[in-house]
Amino acid sequence: MVNVTRRNVLLAGLSGPAFLAALDSELIGSASAQTQQPKRGGTLVYAQCSGNRRGGDASNTRHPYFMVDLITRSAYNTLTWVDEGLNVVNELATKVVPADDKLNVWEITVREGVKFHDGREVMAKDWASSFELHRRRNFASQQIKSTEVTGTHSLRFFLDAGNSEFPFVLAEYDNVVMPANEDFEKIGMTGIGTGPFKIVEADPQRRMVLDRFDGYWKKDQPWLDRLEVINREGQMESAINGFRSRQFDAVLNIDPRLVRQLSAEPDTDVVPASSGDQAVIILPKHPGSPFLDKRIRQALAFAIDREAIVRIVYGGAKFGWMGNDSHMAGTDPMFAPRPVKRDVAKAKALLAEAGHPNGITLPTLYYAPQWPEMSRYFQVIQETVKEAGITLPIEERPNDGYLRFRQGDPDVTKGNWHKFAYTAVGPRNPGISLFRMRGANNESGYWSGPAHDRYMELYRTAMVTADAAKRKAIYAEMQQLCFEEAPALLPAGRNNVLIKRPNVRGLNNHPQHWSITWDGVWKA
Amino acid sequence: MLIAALRRVLLSVITLVMLAVFIFIATEIMPGDALDVSLSADEIAMIPPERLAKMKQDLGLDRPAHERLLAFLNGAITLDFGKTLISKTPVSAIIGYPLRNSLILAGAVLLIAIPLALAIGIAAAFWKGRAVDHLVSTGSIIGYSIPEFVIGTILVMLFAVAWPIFPATITASTRDPALTLLASSPLAVATVLIGSIAYLARLLRTGMVDALASDFVERLRLTGIPEWRIVFLHALPAAVVPSLTALALYAASLVSGIVVVELVFAYPGLGQELVRGVTRREVHVVQAIALCSAAVVVALNLLADLAILMLDPRTRRA
Repeated sequence: MVNVTRRNVLLAGLSGPAFLAALDSELIGSASAQTQQPKRGGTLVYAQCSGNRRGGDASNTRHPYFMVDLITRSAYNTLTWVDEGLNVVNELATKVVPADDKLNVWEITVREGVKFHDGREVMAKDWASSFELHRRRNFASQQIKSTEVTGTHSLRFFLDAGNSEFPFVLAEYDNVVMPANEDFEKIGMTGIGTGPFKIVEADPQRRMVLDRFDGYWKKDQPWLDRLEVINREGQMESAINGFRSRQFDAVLNIDPRLVRQLSAEPDTDVVPASSGDQAVIILPKHPGSPFLDKRIRQALAFAIDREAIVRIVYGGAKFGWMGNDSHMAGTDPMFAPRPVKRDVAKAKALLAEAGHPNGITLPTLYYAPQWPEMSRYFQVIQETVKEAGITLPIEERPNDGYLRFRQGDPDVTKGNWHKFAYTAVGPRNPGISLFRMRGANNESGYWSGPAHDRYMELYRTAMVTADAAKRKAIYAEMQQLCFEEAPALLPAGRNNVLIKRPNVRGLNNHPQHWSITWDGVWKA
Repeated sequence: MLIAALRRVLLSVITLVMLAVFIFIATEIMPGDALDVSLSADEIAMIPPERLAKMKQDLGLDRPAHERLLAFLNGAITLDFGKTLISKTPVSAIIGYPLRNSLILAGAVLLIAIPLALAIGIAAAFWKGRAVDHLVSTGSIIGYSIPEFVIGTILVMLFAVAWPIFPATITASTRDPALTLLASSPLAVATVLIGSIAYLARLLRTGMVDALASDFVERLRLTGIPEWRIVFLHALPAAVVPSLTALALYAASLVSGIVVVELVFAYPGLGQELVRGVTRREVHVVQAIALCSAAVVVALNLLADLAILMLDPRTRRA
C-alpha cells in the first residue's frame, strides 16, 4: 500500500529529492510486497464484530452451526464455494450436474483424498449423513427431500422442486461435511471438519483457537500456524482498540462511518469487499396506503439520489454501491443496473399524474439502527426527495421488537398493517434474492397484480432453466419489472469492510462475510 | 436480638419473592422473543409462516404467562432455572463462569480498594481541613463523578494505545483460571478501582470525621490515650459500623452492576452475559442473572444488617 502522508514527507526533510526518495521507497516497497512469496508460520488474531445470534454454548460451540463467528470455512469445507465475485465454484465437489431436465435431481462427484482432521478420508456417505442434518436445520437445504449415495465418491440430491441455482445451496456456510453419524443430532459436535485449520480451543460466543491442519487437501496451505478468532459482536470500539494496541492483526465488519478515520491511521489497510448488504424500503400496500398507486412508488424511486447515498453515507464507490430496487447485489454477475438515473422532473410528473401536483407528504418511514449508518442513510433520502416535492417523515425505532413492529399482521382485516419501513438484506444467489420479492413476503409490501404474476412466472421458469445465459435474460426481465413496478425500494448498499495490518497478506474481503477463506492468508 | 435478626431475614425473603415477580414481569414485556432474534432476515423471509408458528410452539413460546411464572418461581426456589430456549443448554451452565468472573473482579477490586480507602479516609479525617483533606475530597469527587466508561477509555488510550503496556481488550477465555483472567484485565480492574476508592474513601472520611469529633473520643483524649490508639482502636470501628450497609450495597453493585466496564473491556462477566441474554431474548438467562444479582444485593444487605445488630446494641431495639 502506498502511504505517502504529510507526516512522511515532513520527516523526509521537506525537500524535493527527499520526497521523491520517500515516494520511491514506498512504491518499491509496495511492489516488492506484492511479489513476495507466501511464507509459512505465524499466528493471526482477528476480531469479528458482526452479530451472530446462533453463537453456541459449551456443548456445541465447535459445531459449524454455532461457531463463534460465521466463518465456518476456517475449520470446514462445503461442496461449492461462492467466490468474491459471487460466482459459484467447486470446492470439495469436482462435478455438480443436474441429472434430469426438471433440475430436481442433482449428481455430485466429490473430491478424492480429502481427509478429516482425525485423518479419516471423506467419503460420499459422510456428505449424505451431513445433509441429513442440513436438510432438517438449514433453511436453504429444506428443499432437499433425500440423498442417495451412488458410489464411494458420488451421490445424488433429490429436491422437492427444480432449482437451477442448487449449486449455490451447496455453498451455504452451514452445509459443511462432517464425519457420518447415524444419529444426526450428534453430527458435528466434535468440531472435526476438513478445513485448513482444526479447532483446538473454543470458548462459547467469545473466542476460538484453530491450529494448522497438516493434512489439508490444498497443497502447501494453509500458510498460518494458528488462527485466533475473538468475538467482539456489537463491540466495535473494543475491537478497534484491540487493533490499535496490536492485539489483533485484523478486524472484520467495520462500521462504514469509521472508514475515513481508519484509512488515515498508520499501519492500517482498509479492505473493502466488492459489495455487501443493502437496505430494503418496504412500500406497504394495505388499504389506504399511498403506495397502492404505482406512480407514487415510481416517483419515490426516481426522486431518491442513490449516488448521494453512496457518496455521503459510504464515502464513495469504493465502499458503497447503487441498487436496482431488486434484492440482487451490485456485483452479482446476474445484476442488471437500473436503466435510468435519478430524474426529479419525472418524479414530479408522476406525482402530478397521481393527483399530487403540489407534492405529497408520505407516511412516516421507520427504521431501526441495525446498521450504524442508517440514520445518515435515511436523512440523505429525506433531503434528496424534497426536491421532487416529497415530504418524507422518518423515525428511528429501537431494534428491540422492531421485526414485529414493521411486519404487523399479514391479515389486513386485523388493522395491524405492515409498515413503511426498512429492513436489511445480504447478497445471496439470484434464486433466493429474487424470490424475496414474491407477493407473499413482507419485504415486497405484499405486492400483487399482473406484473407480480408475470414476475413469479419468470421466477418459476428460471428455476428450471439450466442454461445460465438464458437464466440471466430471465433474471434481467424480472429486475426490469422491479424497476417498472417498484414494489419495494433498494436504493443502495454497503461494501463489507475489514481492516488489517499491512503484513497480513492474501486476506480478501467478501460480499458474504461468512464466505471469507483463510487458506491463502499469510504473514510477511 | 434473635427476633430482630429473624425479622430481617423474613423481610429479605419477602423482598426476594417480590423481586422475582417483578423480574418476570419485566422480561414479559420485552418486545420480541428468542425465535425472532435467532433467525436471520434471510430465514424470516424464506421460512413459511406456518412453519414459524410451529417452531414457536416447539420452543414453548406460546405457553400462558401464569404457567411460565410458576415455572420460574419453582426454578428460583430449587435453583434450577431451566434451559435456554434455542440451544437447550442448562442456564446454570451459561451463567456459572460469568458469575465466578464477576465475583473475581469485584473481589480483586474490594481487596485493593478497602485498605487503600481506609488509609485515605483516615488520613483525610485526621488532617481535616488541611491540604491532605482538600486533596482527598477533591480527588474523590472527581474519581466518583467521572463515568467508568470515560475512565476506561482514557486508560485504554494511555496505557494500551499510546503506550502499549497493557491489553486494550480482554481476550482471555471465560473459563480461564482467576489469575490468568486478572492478569489480562489490569485496565478493567484499575477502572473500577478508581471509582471504588473514591467512593469508599469519601464514605469512611465522613464516618471518621464524625467519630473523631464525638464526645467519647474527646473523653479518650483527656485520659491521655495515644492518638494512634484512639484513631485505630476506637474511632475507626465507630466510623465503620454506620458505613457497613453502604459498603455492602456497593460490593453488591460491583458484582452485578459493572456492565459498562465489562463491555468496554469485553470482560467475560455476568454483565456481558446479561446483555447477551437480553439481546437474544433468552428470558431464562435474563431472569436467572437478574435474580442472582438481586439475591446478592439482598444477602449482602442482610449480612450488613446482622453485623450492625451485633456491633451496635442500639439497633436491636428498633
